[in-house]
Amino acid sequence: MSDIQEAMRSRAKELLESGEVNAVIGWEAGRFENQTTPLITSQAAKTQRLVFNEYCVNNLGKYPRDLTAKGKVAIFARGCESRAIIRLLSDEVIKRENVYIIGIGCPGMRDRTTGELLKKCAECRHGDPVIYDEMLGEPQAKPATQERFAEIQKIEALPRAEREAYFTNAFSKCIRCYACRNVCPCCTCRQCFVDQRREGWLGKQNNIAENRFYGLTRVMHVGDRCIECGECERVCPMDLPLMSLNRKVIYDINNLFGEYETALSLDEPPSALTTYKVDDVEEFM
Amino acid sequence: MSRIGVFICYCGSNIAGTVDVEKVAEVARTLPNVVHAETNKYTCSDPGQAGVKAAIEKYNIDRVVMGTCSPRMHELTWRKLLADTPVNPYMLEVANLREQCSWVHKDKEVGTAKAIDLIKMAVAKVDKLSPLKSTQIPVTKRALVVGGGIAGMQAALDIADAGYQVTVVERETSLGGKMVMLDKTFPTMDCSACICTPKMSEVGSHPNITVKSYAEVESVEGYVGNFDVTIREKAKYIDYNLCTGCGACTTKCPTKVINNFEQGMSARPAIYKMFAQAVPAKPVIDAEHCRKIQENKCGACAKICPTGAIHYDDEDKVTTERYGAIVLTTGYQLIDWKPLYPEYGGGKYPDVITGLQFERLVNASGPTEGHILRPSDGKEPKNVVIIKCVGSRDPHKGVAYCSRACCMYGAKHAHQFLDKVPDGRCFVFYMDVRTPGKGYDEFYMNTLQDGAQYLRGRVSKIYKEGDRLVCLGEDTLTSAQIRIEADMVVLETAMVPAEGVDKLGSMLGVTRDKDLWLTEAHAKLRPVETNTAGVFLAGVAQGPKDIPDTVCQAGAAASKVIGLLNHDHLESNPQISRVNEALCQGDGACVNICPYHAITLVQKQFRENSQKITRTVASVNPGLCQGCGACTVTCRAGAMDLLGYTNESLMREVDALCQW
Repeated sequence: MSDIQEAMRSRAKELLESGEVNAVIGWEAGRFENQTTPLITSQAAKTQRLVFNEYCVNNLGKYPRDLTAKGKVAIFARGCESRAIIRLLSDEVIKRENVYIIGIGCPGMRDRTTGELLKKCAECRHGDPVIYDEMLGEPQAKPATQERFAEIQKIEALPRAEREAYFTNAFSKCIRCYACRNVCPCCTCRQCFVDQRREGWLGKQNNIAENRFYGLTRVMHVGDRCIECGECERVCPMDLPLMSLNRKVIYDINNLFGEYETALSLDEPPSALTTYKVDDVEEFM
Repeated sequence: MSRIGVFICYCGSNIAGTVDVEKVAEVARTLPNVVHAETNKYTCSDPGQAGVKAAIEKYNIDRVVMGTCSPRMHELTWRKLLADTPVNPYMLEVANLREQCSWVHKDKEVGTAKAIDLIKMAVAKVDKLSPLKSTQIPVTKRALVVGGGIAGMQAALDIADAGYQVTVVERETSLGGKMVMLDKTFPTMDCSACICTPKMSEVGSHPNITVKSYAEVESVEGYVGNFDVTIREKAKYIDYNLCTGCGACTTKCPTKVINNFEQGMSARPAIYKMFAQAVPAKPVIDAEHCRKIQENKCGACAKICPTGAIHYDDEDKVTTERYGAIVLTTGYQLIDWKPLYPEYGGGKYPDVITGLQFERLVNASGPTEGHILRPSDGKEPKNVVIIKCVGSRDPHKGVAYCSRACCMYGAKHAHQFLDKVPDGRCFVFYMDVRTPGKGYDEFYMNTLQDGAQYLRGRVSKIYKEGDRLVCLGEDTLTSAQIRIEADMVVLETAMVPAEGVDKLGSMLGVTRDKDLWLTEAHAKLRPVETNTAGVFLAGVAQGPKDIPDTVCQAGAAASKVIGLLNHDHLESNPQISRVNEALCQGDGACVNICPYHAITLVQKQFRENSQKITRTVASVNPGLCQGCGACTVTCRAGAMDLLGYTNESLMREVDALCQW
């Protein structure tokens, strides 16, 4: 990994010095041991601060959204970053010519305190970038250590009352800080529905009904566009099982419309939920 | 502050019977921004409407809630009423106190409580509405008819006679459709060709009609009054300006291809005219089977052609033209019975034929020149079994519906066979005999008198014994097992929609039912309109029917088209989607979901944060948008709003219901 780190620093420096890109997005060391934080810089000198180690837990994929307006940016991309970029590209949030993707194979990231593989990385099915302009080092081809829908099938097997209790319990903890929304590469609306006071889709009170309404609406909005990077669940300060909700929708899409995984290439068909085909399942009709 | 007027109708005793109308009005007076509420016995009557107008003037009302019957019934009436007042016709909300309240409740207390809720919701909604104005859409005074069968020809002639230009697109190489294949038509037994071919030539020579044969609609864009239709005319390899239709070429072609017009019972050359009276009366080359085009050998037709009209390098011609209205008359095909009915041999026995094959056999211009000879050995059959409802009314194997015409043409086939083979015997297996129509039952009775034996039941098996076909079945009226040795079996098979109609329907936003028949806008009141404004339908494309009904429907569709083309401009529906460009991020979810292709993504300049920037945003074509609202629920950011049903107004409606 230290080779990659060196390569990252030199490539970032070259790109900034040559003026090919306006900014570089990567990671730098944080204030604490085994902690990293995103680094966004336009200065070639600062590229020496770039790091790449087993604790680069942040998905950088959403940052280009705020940066490409001023010109081209370079981003170091693992599987999750690359799929987030595809998400932004197919949602027309950024343009392909404004982002330079430097791929890095990912062995999976670890928890700072326990040293264990992160849950999102254990579930990850695409550690290596699915789209890139150049690749640093070799792909890692790390297999997912957890079955994609194992958790969903476990929850679905529960009796109805227990399932309801599971989600009620989860949302009773929600403090509606919207961290899950802010970190999500699918959440790129110019104004989120929760902030639309005039329509008043969502009340201001913090109670289970409103929290659940927020959670379920978020999951439907993310729906078939979720890249399963697991960032929402990682950043949730209240440890809500957000990926179980996201995966439930994906699981249902799989069952209704066939094997579905989004944001794996740029020329994928339009999303499952917003397109109509004559042979679509219409069991509710 | 808005000034809301609430008008609640007794509807005689229709509403007042289960709703305490006066109490509803009393509660309405207490609702926010309501300045006046009144009741009326019959609000839709002349004095009722005058009362509403007077109240609007007296109380200076600027928006109105009508607590009346369903908006499907009288919303337009109220709009027209408001057009005569200072109130904008779209500042109106109809609370359905009849169909959705009084008619579904028996208990007056329950009905009254619900009526109050409905009025509260309507008041909350109308409070948030804003005035809407319709715009004018120009009308292109030309019509397109898709399908050149009897329905298409009739519609085209009627529209053309009214003075409008019509283009008829026909997939086959000639006009005529299925009707021209038939021998005689029930119940009058006039020769089908004698009444159909004059129509064909009339269409072919009408100064207002352009026929595009061997052509298909490739794509349609636009909206009522302004459809841009792209039509692909397949390469005919013959210059119709030079061709005189002498037919010399067809005599020299060495290739033999199965003749679909004769239902596969004879062969035709690769350069061919579909049938003798075809319109246009000129041949085409079937490129797939032409040796010159496929292997660069032969070329006999070009050598013999006296005018040099044959060009082997001809190409498909694609044109795009604008039409104001479209009539779909795509007709039907017969169900492919062979895989469905292995018990009838599944196509193994050549003497088990379809009704359409029988039509060709009995037709004077058919492969046997009108002699009924069975396909296997050319002998005249003496015993003929006719089986009705093959595929029809059989949801397990074929389709659930009745194909409507088979009872009559089944009787006609029996009559024709007994007429031509006087010593023959004819057995008709039937489920029911359905003969509603002028002269139809008399025709059936005549067939019985001719000696046709009707047996109520279905044939369970057909197998071969010697050169005869043994039909096993049951006469369910006598519970007798029946065994008939037949020389020929005629299957009256179900009608199913023509191939490709599903694609055409989705291109035009015309819905199909579960059997893929095109759906009319209203089964009773708008039978020839579709849900897409400016698109009409006629004939079997809408559902199985016989020739008289088809011609009626074609005339009806034509009159609707003429009515439309008579306008120079159309009023647009202002209740359409509007894009809030500040919220729109241009991800195009609405573009994918719009069933009318009304939304496109456009680049637009904005000033944001004191900077000029160019962003992608959605743009709604007001002519195409039908106000279905699919985009509004798809847009995550709520950037799509349906005017007249805005997100805000609907949320206030929900609030009003949930508050007390």
